[in-house]
Amino acid sequence: MLKKDLNLRSPIEKIIGIENITNSNFGAVLSRAGVGKTRFLVQIALTQLLNDKKIVHVSLEDSMGKINLRYNEGYTNLVDSIGYVDPQKAVRLWDDINLNKVGISYNEASFDTTKIKDYLKSFKKAQLPMPGIMIIDGLNFDGEITDILEDLKSLHQEFSISIWFAMRSHRDEALSKEGYPVQLETRKELFDKALFLQPVDNKIQAIVLKDGNKTNQKFLLEPATMMLADQDI
Amino acid sequence: MIRDLKRVRNIGISAHIDSGKTTLTERVLFYTDRIHKINEVRGKDGTGAVMDSMDLERERGITIASAATYCEWKKHNINIIDTPGHVDFTVEVERSLRVLDGVVLILCSVSGVQSQSITVDQQMKRYEVPCIAFVNKCDRSGANPAKVTRQLKDKLGHNSVLMQLPIGLEDKHKGVIDLVAMKAYYFEGDHGEKVAVKEIPENMVEEARAAREEMIDAASLFSEELTDAILEEADITDDMIKTAVRTGVIARQITPVFLGSAYKNKAVQPLLDAVIDYLPSPLDINNEAIDLDNNEESVVLESSFDKPTVALAFKLEDGQYGQLTYLRVYQGCIAKGDTLVNSRDGKKVKAGRLIRMHASQMEEVEEIPAGHIGAMFGIDCASGDTFVSPSINYSMLAMHVMEPVISLSIVPKDNKAQINMSKALNRFTKEDPTFKTYVDHETGDTIIQGMGELHLEVYVERMKREYQAEVTTGKPRVAYRETITQKAVFNYTHKKQTGGAGQFGRVAGFVEPCDEDFEFVNKITGGRIPTQYIPACEKGFLACMHKGPKLEFPVTGIRVTIDDGAYHAVDSSEMAFQAAARGAFLEAYGKAKPVIKEPIMKVVIETPNEFQGSCMGLINQRRGIIQGSQEEGVMSVIESQVPLSEMFGFSTILRSATQGKAQFTMEFSSYKQVPQSIAEEIIKQKQEEKKA
Repeated sequence: MLKKDLNLRSPIEKIIGIENITNSNFGAVLSRAGVGKTRFLVQIALTQLLNDKKIVHVSLEDSMGKINLRYNEGYTNLVDSIGYVDPQKAVRLWDDINLNKVGISYNEASFDTTKIKDYLKSFKKAQLPMPGIMIIDGLNFDGEITDILEDLKSLHQEFSISIWFAMRSHRDEALSKEGYPVQLETRKELFDKALFLQPVDNKIQAIVLKDGNKTNQKFLLEPATMMLADQDI
Repeated sequence: MIRDLKRVRNIGISAHIDSGKTTLTERVLFYTDRIHKINEVRGKDGTGAVMDSMDLERERGITIASAATYCEWKKHNINIIDTPGHVDFTVEVERSLRVLDGVVLILCSVSGVQSQSITVDQQMKRYEVPCIAFVNKCDRSGANPAKVTRQLKDKLGHNSVLMQLPIGLEDKHKGVIDLVAMKAYYFEGDHGEKVAVKEIPENMVEEARAAREEMIDAASLFSEELTDAILEEADITDDMIKTAVRTGVIARQITPVFLGSAYKNKAVQPLLDAVIDYLPSPLDINNEAIDLDNNEESVVLESSFDKPTVALAFKLEDGQYGQLTYLRVYQGCIAKGDTLVNSRDGKKVKAGRLIRMHASQMEEVEEIPAGHIGAMFGIDCASGDTFVSPSINYSMLAMHVMEPVISLSIVPKDNKAQINMSKALNRFTKEDPTFKTYVDHETGDTIIQGMGELHLEVYVERMKREYQAEVTTGKPRVAYRETITQKAVFNYTHKKQTGGAGQFGRVAGFVEPCDEDFEFVNKITGGRIPTQYIPACEKGFLACMHKGPKLEFPVTGIRVTIDDGAYHAVDSSEMAFQAAARGAFLEAYGKAKPVIKEPIMKVVIETPNEFQGSCMGLINQRRGIIQGSQEEGVMSVIESQVPLSEMFGFSTILRSATQGKAQFTMEFSSYKQVPQSIAEEIIKQKQEEKKA
């Protein structure tokens, strides 16, 4: 019950639609540094955890401890957005769903998709359900990463896993006429979903850049929690 | 033994396996003139290090039992306990920490804070043992002491601060800069025994100044004198810094970090200075006992020689002269011929030969005063017993001991082995509270229980080597438990009123899951069951917990509440109510959806990065849950939770999957419900066993 309530309250439900998350091949959350890409991706991952699916969160920036901390924080924000929840119930639920989260911290220099492939293969081998999505945070989209993206594409095809990326844009770079930052513009065919986060006054605006008929929709988020700004408790 | 306790240090050397603690201890003993030749662990000379006194330890290159030794450095007595590095033997680590005043935490400058450093750190926290850190192996390729210092902060939450800077790293590691004295130390002579004090190399002066400032900044939090001196820009003396850091260390608020390479004989002497300067003396530590004659109230022990004696037996060893009992004296003094009382059983004993140890060699002493560690011959006791003067009845607080999670049946090969096996088991169970043994009355087999496969393996090997007891072992077995998952009511009448003395008792109430092993709640009102029969009811329920009705595994996590019942003025008895409780338990148990629980282990794998994916795969294939993975330099650490039943033979599998380059540690985490498919297998297996 609590699971359902939390997912209904999730900003992801309104902005992308929870069902939509795993239907995508490659998804991207873009913003310049410090706006909240990772926190938004954590909210995406939480919707899957609340649906009893496994998720893999790969970070090339954060340590394992920090990844865990981000999920704790994201879950707390989500729980708090409901209003009163029996704290014991909330903790028990977290203990349950947290087991389905695998945080992997890589050094950017030694990041290699074969390690992820070996890991995903073992799911098949042990006939275990595949993770619902994989989050990749910290990949440098300003560099030459065609090979990595190709490899990840083939992982997506082989294991039917949706991959969501954090993509850092820069303040001083002009947007394309479709409103895409250059990091997305150059690879837009690869991505079937993309969102852009930007600060507007004292809120964060989430603009759907790519997502079928949802494209160009805009939502306001609270910067401290990444919850929808206009939701009543 | 010196009586000026300011000049006594009781320290432990704790670290992850293969961090070089035995090598470091060897160097310490060499520089303090306790030994005159350095032997390496698994040395080419075939001798092995002095601290590893058991053959098995030498062979495997790990330290199994804590060997205690003492040495002298700059007119101070240092008692050192070398602690085992494998998690399977953590009871040894815990016991050592119980009797120590301070610890040198060794970290590898390449691997940094590893899984067991975290375990050891938690244990240090539990016993509030102050520590200093030594970043060893600075000569190794990939050495990075600054990273390790950061890891101490990030991973273990220590307020770590560098007290030295390395002069060169990896193969260029020449010495260290002392940031307190602002001098450079080089280590000359065949074994680095001559410390050459020189000026700081010019190219490092700036770096050293900056690091010193950082260090003084951290230390100033613990001394007003130092803070004032900084604010007034007055001269900062070495003593001011040392006093501040020492205060911080004793309060467990700061961890000074020292550097070097024990293997290359670099910077061990400054570490010994640091032990004296920063680790507490027995006078600095508050030790408490419980007064068994006064409602178990805690009593602060004084390191005074005139007070009644209080000593803790923390380790036993079988020597050629009988049982050798290692003791830490907390209060008073044990002298030859003194009468002591074992507060566990109240037995009086007479102190026989007293010695202090240097690994396997011993030196006879007349007395062991408060604050010292020594050993005593001729006393029969168990590890963890408290010895006191007859005038008091104190007990040192109970040590945290975990329940065994794995068992193994052993069968002696012949009659002689049978006798020796009994002797060995008797000794081992006394030495190690996590090692247990019993005879299975159904099969007649002797069962040994412990904390892991390796734990039991080592004891089987020790039986063979030390006691010439050859045994064949069965398959390791997991200690399953049963529990219930929902509330169920009972209303059971035990009635036997056909001829002779009758029996009558009725109990009603309910059972429900709970977090404790067993809880009994009495809600009987109006004397429906007379008060004198309530304990019998509890006893009856408790008796059912030992062997679950489902599969005969012990039952845990049950709260029994009784709220109704009936008795008969003549026919009711304690026996009748015990029987009624047993019947009630059986009646409710089946309705409460019983399940099987299995031990889940926290497994941490450290592997070269290239094998990270396949190691995670190995965990997946074992019903394991990966909690996370972290790359640290060339190595990856994978944290996971895996059922113990899936971990048998894992070391071989891991070795072959990683070309022998990965290692893992395993410790008990919790009990969790077994999945249905596995539960069915266990039931089937149990039924087959019964048939056989």
